[in-house]
Amino acid sequence: MAFYKDNYDVIVIGGALAGMSCAMRLASEGKSVLVLERHNLPGGVATSFVRSGIEMEATLHEMMSLGPVEDPLYIRKYLDEMKVAIDWLRVPEAYELYSPEDNIDIELHAGRRSDGTWVCADEIEAQYPGTRAEVNRLLELCLSVYNSTLFLNEHSLSKLQMLLKHEALVKTAGYSAKEVLDTAFVLPEPVKKILSAYWIYVGQPLSTLPFTIYSFLMADYMMGGSYVARGFSHEMAMAMQNRCEELGVQFEYCQNVEKILVKDGHVYGVRTSRGDEIHARYVASAPYPNTVYGKMIEPQSEVPAQARKYANAMPMSVTNFSVVLLLDKKPEDLNIRSYSVFSSEVPFDTDVFWAQGKKLGNWSYLTTICLNYANPDAVPEGMTSLSITNLPLPEAFAEVNADNYYEMKRTIAKQMIDTVSKRLGVNLLDHVQEIEVESPMTIARYTGMYQGGIYGYQHSMVNSVVGRLEDVEREQYIKGLVGCASHQLVGDGMACNINNGKIASKMILEEMKKEAAAK
Amino acid sequence: MKVKGFLKDVTGASRVTNARRKLIESGSPENNYRDHIREVADELHPKATRIVVTKVEDVSPTARRFTFEATDGDKLPPFQAGQYASLDLEINGTLTTRPYSISSAPFEARTGEHPFFQLTIRNGRPETGFAANWLYANLKEGDKLTAHLPFGEFHFEPLRDSKHVVAPAGGSGITPFYAMAKEIEHGTLDMDLTILYGSVSTKDIILEQQLKAIQSDRVKFVNVISGDEEYDGEKGFLSRDLIKKYSAEDTTYFVCGPLPMYHFVKGELEALHVPARRIRMEVFGAPRDVTAAEGYPKDFEPKKFKLTVLRGIQKDVIEADSREPLTVALERAGIKNNSRCRSGACGFCRTKLVSGDVFVPAEGDGRRRADKQFGYVHACSTWPLSDCTIRIPIL
Repeated sequence: MAFYKDNYDVIVIGGALAGMSCAMRLASEGKSVLVLERHNLPGGVATSFVRSGIEMEATLHEMMSLGPVEDPLYIRKYLDEMKVAIDWLRVPEAYELYSPEDNIDIELHAGRRSDGTWVCADEIEAQYPGTRAEVNRLLELCLSVYNSTLFLNEHSLSKLQMLLKHEALVKTAGYSAKEVLDTAFVLPEPVKKILSAYWIYVGQPLSTLPFTIYSFLMADYMMGGSYVARGFSHEMAMAMQNRCEELGVQFEYCQNVEKILVKDGHVYGVRTSRGDEIHARYVASAPYPNTVYGKMIEPQSEVPAQARKYANAMPMSVTNFSVVLLLDKKPEDLNIRSYSVFSSEVPFDTDVFWAQGKKLGNWSYLTTICLNYANPDAVPEGMTSLSITNLPLPEAFAEVNADNYYEMKRTIAKQMIDTVSKRLGVNLLDHVQEIEVESPMTIARYTGMYQGGIYGYQHSMVNSVVGRLEDVEREQYIKGLVGCASHQLVGDGMACNINNGKIASKMILEEMKKEAAAK
Repeated sequence: MKVKGFLKDVTGASRVTNARRKLIESGSPENNYRDHIREVADELHPKATRIVVTKVEDVSPTARRFTFEATDGDKLPPFQAGQYASLDLEINGTLTTRPYSISSAPFEARTGEHPFFQLTIRNGRPETGFAANWLYANLKEGDKLTAHLPFGEFHFEPLRDSKHVVAPAGGSGITPFYAMAKEIEHGTLDMDLTILYGSVSTKDIILEQQLKAIQSDRVKFVNVISGDEEYDGEKGFLSRDLIKKYSAEDTTYFVCGPLPMYHFVKGELEALHVPARRIRMEVFGAPRDVTAAEGYPKDFEPKKFKLTVLRGIQKDVIEADSREPLTVALERAGIKNNSRCRSGACGFCRTKLVSGDVFVPAEGDGRRRADKQFGYVHACSTWPLSDCTIRIPIL
């Protein structure tokens, strides 16, 4: 019995968004591709689950980089090009930030007008008069950096051309978001805080978050808005999985890849837990370099010392702790008014929030998502689908073991529910119909990801995307092996991972061309 | 455009690139791989646990309790009282699985010199309890099996449930409540439990001595006998009046038993205006007679169909019976297939229906919306209505 072909052009480990993006792009170029996914679902954490017949979103659910149909951003264009059809629903607002200690309570909306003014600048102006011009100037700078970043995603330029054509990107690349906001703009502190709320989508405090990444987030979200799939994140995953199969990709569930086989510095295949040895000269890997170099490469003597240095030095970004609730009342009856609320119980300070994420519990900065406001049909009549999320660092879970695990989950979940209940003035515990708590262990269970990491490596000033781009080639420590998940160049997020997969496919295609030419 | 000054601004990219190179250079060249979170996740949810039978005892004229310990270096994972284990079985050439609620307490699987768990299995009617009967009759001390645990949502959740729990139970549906009762007695489950155990006659009562032995101010055990007018105690069915009598103002109901009992108790609880969030039902298995399910095509004669099974590039053609779910067709053909709850809920047997007509009963359809859209089914609760082609994982 043969379940696999003798040989594939490329094996993709992991059928999450990056892996599927990579696979469909390669298949559309005529390559034979095998995707091996360890779970029996596609999408990684972009998925959903069903409890007592009711489907619930498993992920902090907000897709960027799409933009409206008439004004598409780069991921909508890419999905269109790949013929992936997803029924997107626009999220009404960008976000609400609630930070009573700072007297901040504001809701912002996405939108940029052709004259270079932004909807949210008006909304901020209404509460903080005299700030409109500076907010517009900041967002225009972000947009300029964003456009340059996207251009460089596809092209490379000399340093002089860079400076001439991409001045904003070049001149801000060496600074953190905080440095640029403090030095180049005159904005009152509360407005800076309001414009920092998205920090959680990269999980990096503004003091160490490169302005490049900050710009990307702000310009993309504030211009294009965000979206959810009508059929939950699982629809997005299934649409991509289905497209992979249409393009001839062999997509296998329940296949855990244990070893990546390497000889003379070049990949030649993988071995699964089932014992199948499957051959390909190229492997795109969702497992983190830590796991790949630490235990997957066979033989281990093929792992260069430099690769180990890399894996040991890369700082892990945040993981996830979410409480997913189905409540037996309508959102209005629970004083829930927006899809996406960022809230802080202490004065807003991303350094403080970040430090809190190194410890278990008592987290001040919470993200509350109410699915009803973006996708009302997805929630049974009279109920509320709500998730409360914080993104702590894996190190916070160092003392958690199998025996204290359930108690730990409940203790922290209760804290988070109590915090949100206090803000809403309604005890949510009186309305819980279903509850699931997702921890880093949950992520590790279903995806196998190193330390339950969902965000890859930190986007910090010492691990800047600018440096990542510059050194991408010298960090290909094993020929034929590329990273294909949030530890790749662009980092975390659903849209970014689709881009990570696209980048991985490009790297593989280029390498194939080079090797063919060398022959 | 200026941030701090021309020179500092234009050298920024080199600055961050060099900082990053320095960071990587600072990394140790040793293999320092360790993943604590993955280790905990694997201990909580092992793919499989090899177990051995260490004790067999009768706990009623018709039920046996089997004690299992982990073997071959495996370790039992923690679980929550009320959850189930799925056993891999090979019975007369058929590869199958069966889910059974764990009847021992969670602490017993994680403490003591010989951590263990127990399943209590009833000898059913010959035509209905194929695997249960086989286990009852054949499983003996020293036998080795593979188990998968823990699974299921049927457990007390303090962030959701009232501390006052009333548990209408029937038949072998008593087993998860014995686990809860033991855990309460041990002081590691903070709830009050009143079990209303419905049986036709006293002969049907499983684990009676064991349950009576652990009654306390927190655990009440009430037999409700429907087929014996002379019985000295609660008589009749698990009716609304009886349920009300044992309920507090705010009560969560955990219901576990055979399908007709579910329907009856559900109706009684609704008549009492119990809010939906206060009712927890264990999954109830696939219908034995699918033709009686709502929506099944009228006058559909039982038929044998061709079932084409795709695994990777491999293709097999087997026989499927319209009266049996796809999972059973695979099992009869000896094709390995993941299944856990066998009730349509858990999704382990998620299968791509490439072509063909099938019937999926609405009751117990645990599929995701997009799975319906893209033609996926849960094989354990999908019955063929024509020749079909399915794609399943390579196992």
